[in-house]
Amino acid sequence: MKSNVSTAATAPIATNGDTILSVQDLRTHFYTRDGVVRAVDGVTFDLARGETLCIVGESGCGKSVTALSILGLIPPKIGEIVSGSIRFDGTELTTESEREMRSIRGNRISMIFQEPMTSLNPVLTVGEQISESLRIHQRLDRRAAWDRAIEMLALVRIADPKRRAGEYPHQLSGGMRQRVMIAMALACNPQVLVADEPTTALDVTIQAQILNLMLELKDRLGTAIVLITHDLGVVAETAQRVIVMYAGRMVEEAPVRELLNNPKHPYTRGLIGSIPRRKSGGARGRTRGRLQEISGLVPSLREPIPGCAFAPRCSFATPRCITEQPPFEAHGPRHFAACWEVARIEATSSDQLVSSPT
Amino acid sequence: MTAYIVRRLLATIPVMAIVALFVFFLLHLTPGDPAAVIAGDDASPADIEGIRRKLGLDRPIWEQFGVYVWNLLHGDLGTSIFSNMPVMTLVMQRLEPSVVLAIATLTVAVAFAIPLGVLAAWKADTAVDRVVMGFSVLGFAVPVFLVGYLLIYVFAIQLRWLPVQGYRPLANGVVDTLRSIALPAFALGMTYMALIARITRASMLEVLSEDYIRTARAKGVATPSVLLRHALKNAAIPIVTVIGIGFALLISGVVITETVFNIPGLGRLTVDAILKRDYPIIQGLIIIFAGVKVLVNLLIDISYTFFDPRIRQ
Ligand SMILES: Nc1ncnc2c1ncn2[C@@H]1O[C@H](COP(=O)(O)OP(=O)(O)OP(=O)(O)O)[C@@H](O)[C@H]1O
Ligand code: SF4
Ligand SMILES: [Mg+2]
Repeated sequence: MKSNVSTAATAPIATNGDTILSVQDLRTHFYTRDGVVRAVDGVTFDLARGETLCIVGESGCGKSVTALSILGLIPPKIGEIVSGSIRFDGTELTTESEREMRSIRGNRISMIFQEPMTSLNPVLTVGEQISESLRIHQRLDRRAAWDRAIEMLALVRIADPKRRAGEYPHQLSGGMRQRVMIAMALACNPQVLVADEPTTALDVTIQAQILNLMLELKDRLGTAIVLITHDLGVVAETAQRVIVMYAGRMVEEAPVRELLNNPKHPYTRGLIGSIPRRKSGGARGRTRGRLQEISGLVPSLREPIPGCAFAPRCSFATPRCITEQPPFEAHGPRHFAACWEVARIEATSSDQLVSSPT
Repeated sequence: MTAYIVRRLLATIPVMAIVALFVFFLLHLTPGDPAAVIAGDDASPADIEGIRRKLGLDRPIWEQFGVYVWNLLHGDLGTSIFSNMPVMTLVMQRLEPSVVLAIATLTVAVAFAIPLGVLAAWKADTAVDRVVMGFSVLGFAVPVFLVGYLLIYVFAIQLRWLPVQGYRPLANGVVDTLRSIALPAFALGMTYMALIARITRASMLEVLSEDYIRTARAKGVATPSVLLRHALKNAAIPIVTVIGIGFALLISGVVITETVFNIPGLGRLTVDAILKRDYPIIQGLIIIFAGVKVLVNLLIDISYTFFDPRIRQ
């Protein structure tokens, strides 16, 4: 029963219940031959117990790196967390020893990866791979861990779990492998599950099944989820709160309905904006579908960006946008955005915002 | 699994048939009269005629080939021209030292190479890695006879821990055999150690960048277990391939080591046969060496199924 957020940052505070995970001004850099890549450049959020938080943004905006930073899985020497804080249930993770981090990973914070085809070890049976977490973290013996692995397979609704436990990943379909990943991630009943595009590689029909399964298990087990996705449909159906990232920074954050109905940042508007036109074309309405293409290139993360990272692609940009970084501040209840021109943008109707594709 | 093995087994038949064909015509493709070639420069016409009759070279070639294949299928590799002993018997006499030496060499090599290779991959691009890889370059570069004489000088002559030369057959006691084989195994093992360590490092590096290694870390698996349980088994296929090829090469290529350490193995038999132009022995050895290689290949293929469940179907 402790709330450790004593530093009164401009950060949004967790809304309901107490905070399980608090990320403050996280910066993660990679050192490449061509220079320093500022993959995550000041990310701040709180995650409440049992909450579902979505992180969206174009490819390369730092979603996966944020996730890997939380688990302490940034490959050493290649990259590092250069500043910021990650507090998990009262413990500061950025300064924790590798040994302590190992006891947290897969136990209290778990992760599911995007590629079910390559994320399971091809030479170990799925039963062995699920049992492993249980043997490490709960010190179960071989038999007990195996039995529990079979229970987990049944929990993620894999038919004939006894037989499947003895099979190798190549004997399972993509959807089943992702179920195995979920079983593995939830085996030790973690408080936080970080799911990095868990359904992107799957068929559309399977995607819905896997998402529903995750949400159902999350409710049953009380796990908080950080769900990383490209898919606004997934956001609409799963998230309670959404963070939009651009070029390693957060550009907007709001509860899901608020964000989809009343986006403030031009980038977010761009992501959602062109969707109503599809409706008039006779396609299904709402926000189903992947992020819309926005014209222009994502900026290089190799150069420090003094102003707003979106400026080169933004039709509202002013000279100030190029030189001064806009603060991430409240523009409504629980609604934050990093943009100098929110007032001007709100005065513009959304129809005018949609620039025709070139 | 069984189907896989049977398929592999059948695939060896054409290979062995081609080898047999080649070996048979080896003698007949040499320019000039094969009997004269075998007899050598200062042989009398009577000697040449004798050899011709002994080898059946006076009969029609298809008859010769028929007899050759027939004998081969019954395990008869012909008779040595000089010692008049069946080639099979000569080979069998020399097989034990060579096989024991090959196995000992690979055991020494693997015992050092795999831990070193794993270590180098884990510590890639650090001083540890550079030292291990530097050592492996050295292992390649230094000739076997040099290492051999050095080892003899230190351990046999100065320290007197091990015999200088010679081979003690297994029948006279395993400990003596191992003592007699220790130095040559190390001398010869250096090259293979270097080779296997290199392959292990490369293969491990590739596996360590795989997604499932990240998954293992995300589960909280500790480094030793990541390296050995999750990575090494995935990295095993190139490693066992090199070990297998190493074995085949060792059986046929231990000439220098056997000479330095005076071991009466197949290497020595080969050298002697070539010097004396004892064609039946040379032919027999080619068949045997090819057979060993085909057999080792088969065993390598079968061993894959042990490491990679995807191959078992
Ligand atoms: N190991 C690494 N070495 C160097 N740069 C890296 C490394 N991992 C990530 N990056 C860089 O960090 C930036 C953010 O990458 P990240 O994987 O977080 O993107 P993402 O938002 O997850 O994109 P996607 O939707 O494609 O998964 C990218 O510019 C990427 O090139
Ligand atoms: S700060 Fe300026 S450039 Fe950035 S999104 Fe707002 S208006 Fe566009
Ligand atoms: Mg990603």
